[in-house]
Amino acid sequence: MHAAIRRLSLALDRLEEAFMGFALAFMTIVTFVQVALRAFGTGFVWSLEVTTYTFAWLVLIGMSYGVRTQAHIAVDFVTAKLPPRLARTAAVTALVLSLAYCVFMTLGSLVFVDRLMTLGNDARDIALPRWLLASVLPLGFALLGLRLVQAAWSSRRAAPERNP
Amino acid sequence: MSALSLLLVLFACLALGIPVAIALGLASIVTIALFADQSLAVLAQRFFSAMQVYPLLAVPFFILAGAFMTTGGVAKRLIAFANALVGHFQGGLAMAALLACAFFSAVSGSSPATVVAVGSIMIAGMQRSGYSKEFAAGLICNAGTLGILIPPSIVLVVYGAVTETSIRDLFIAGILPGLLLTAALLISVAVIARRKNMPRQPRADFATLLRTARVAIWGLLLIVIILGGIYMGVFTPTEAAAVAAVYAFFVAVFVYRDIRLREVPRVLTEGAKVTAMLMFIIGNAFLFGFVLTTEQIPQMASDWITSLGLPPWAFLIAVNLLLLLAGNFMEPTSVILILAPILFPIATELGIHPVHLGIIMTVNMEIGLITPPVGLNLFVTSGVAGMSAAAVVRAALPWLLVLLAVLIVITYVPAVSLSLPAMLN
Repeated sequence: MHAAIRRLSLALDRLEEAFMGFALAFMTIVTFVQVALRAFGTGFVWSLEVTTYTFAWLVLIGMSYGVRTQAHIAVDFVTAKLPPRLARTAAVTALVLSLAYCVFMTLGSLVFVDRLMTLGNDARDIALPRWLLASVLPLGFALLGLRLVQAAWSSRRAAPERNP
Repeated sequence: MSALSLLLVLFACLALGIPVAIALGLASIVTIALFADQSLAVLAQRFFSAMQVYPLLAVPFFILAGAFMTTGGVAKRLIAFANALVGHFQGGLAMAALLACAFFSAVSGSSPATVVAVGSIMIAGMQRSGYSKEFAAGLICNAGTLGILIPPSIVLVVYGAVTETSIRDLFIAGILPGLLLTAALLISVAVIARRKNMPRQPRADFATLLRTARVAIWGLLLIVIILGGIYMGVFTPTEAAAVAAVYAFFVAVFVYRDIRLREVPRVLTEGAKVTAMLMFIIGNAFLFGFVLTTEQIPQMASDWITSLGLPPWAFLIAVNLLLLLAGNFMEPTSVILILAPILFPIATELGIHPVHLGIIMTVNMEIGLITPPVGLNLFVTSGVAGMSAAAVVRAALPWLLVLLAVLIVITYVPAVSLSLPAMLN
């Protein structure tokens, strides 16, 4: 059971990485081809919109990937100077506040997507509804919260001796 | 009141060790909840809109181009060329290290990556040739910061995007100050080399110079393509960045063969990771900027400053001090994102050119990279050179004075930044 979950989680990690790499390659190539085509006086109308939406998906999926790979920049010279017990309190407070951020942003995103659904219109140059393109917004913030909990959980188990 | 809440929550969150991006977002959410009649949905929409800002699309492309160029092979070629160029002067190896840093940081777009790539080769190399480790480490730690000023620069892209200043003008404006700073460091090396009687190397013959130039030119052409293309109006900075990324891919994989085709997905994921990390901060900075504007905080700050009757030069001193202080605690992009929306309206009010302010802010950020406690370059240098962080701080200090002197020149002689864009427009 546990092994199955771990395999699934690993597969999801790989999928996440593949998606991000692919998204970056795709938006680069689309923009490059657009420049090249312009030399011949032609081009795609959808190029810019496809690029910006790919960009948004890349960033929103990538935010939680950044938690997993500890890529996010934080100012740690204050907490590094605290005694262990206070540092732990600070870490827990930071986690709770970060999670609150994720909850607020997920809720806000859901309302935003719901409004787009009510409006019901398609994107300008792509034949897809706007709410669908924006649906990565709540997904991204929810995933971010999940990864934060996951990271906190594994660091709690990994370094118990640091907290006497 | 709202300004107080915004800044208080921000600093409290930062001190707790919350990532900069989330701290910016939380400060915005709290302030909106307390003082403004805006819904969370508006914030979500704002965040999403950051990814639709056309100039910001240049960020992922420049990052990708840099990811392809950040290899030891590229560094070696640039060093060989720089060495053939200036190695025969007294202190030549140090000058070569400095030039290699300028080249590599411009091409790779990353200061810490420059210190690693050039430093790991040159610090040991300079020691073997009789330079002290402190001299080598201090020089490379400083020279590695040149990249955020010499275009293409992501810091300038971000400044341009948040203040709606032309990125084309900013890039062109960065050229002269970048050259000035490089020249100032070169002259300092020459003076020290003469006084300490530092070694020189045999003069490279013309064939060697030509051979190393021909190899290095593939990397350096990246800068030429970007600046030339933007200046001639062939493409926008965003398009130039995409072209640069594709070009860097071809050079790395097919010309230099530093990166094998099957390693490309790894480079892409790495570039995507850095992009997401940076854009997460930028997206939240857009929320922060939105709250600033709805609460009219820059307006109030501007009114207050003008009511003091401060002359522009006094304001610029204050700006420099504020930025140097902020740069000590946060990395360049975050500082620009937080402070540019506040400083920009005041500067405009006082008649300071937006492009000039952008260059001033960027040079300040260079200094922030080499001052404790959060100078990224210090820690990277300490790792590469095998010195304690405190020793690197001491080693970097004399060079810091050169940077400060150039900062003063750039701050008070706007022509250094503005004459080139004015001439070309």
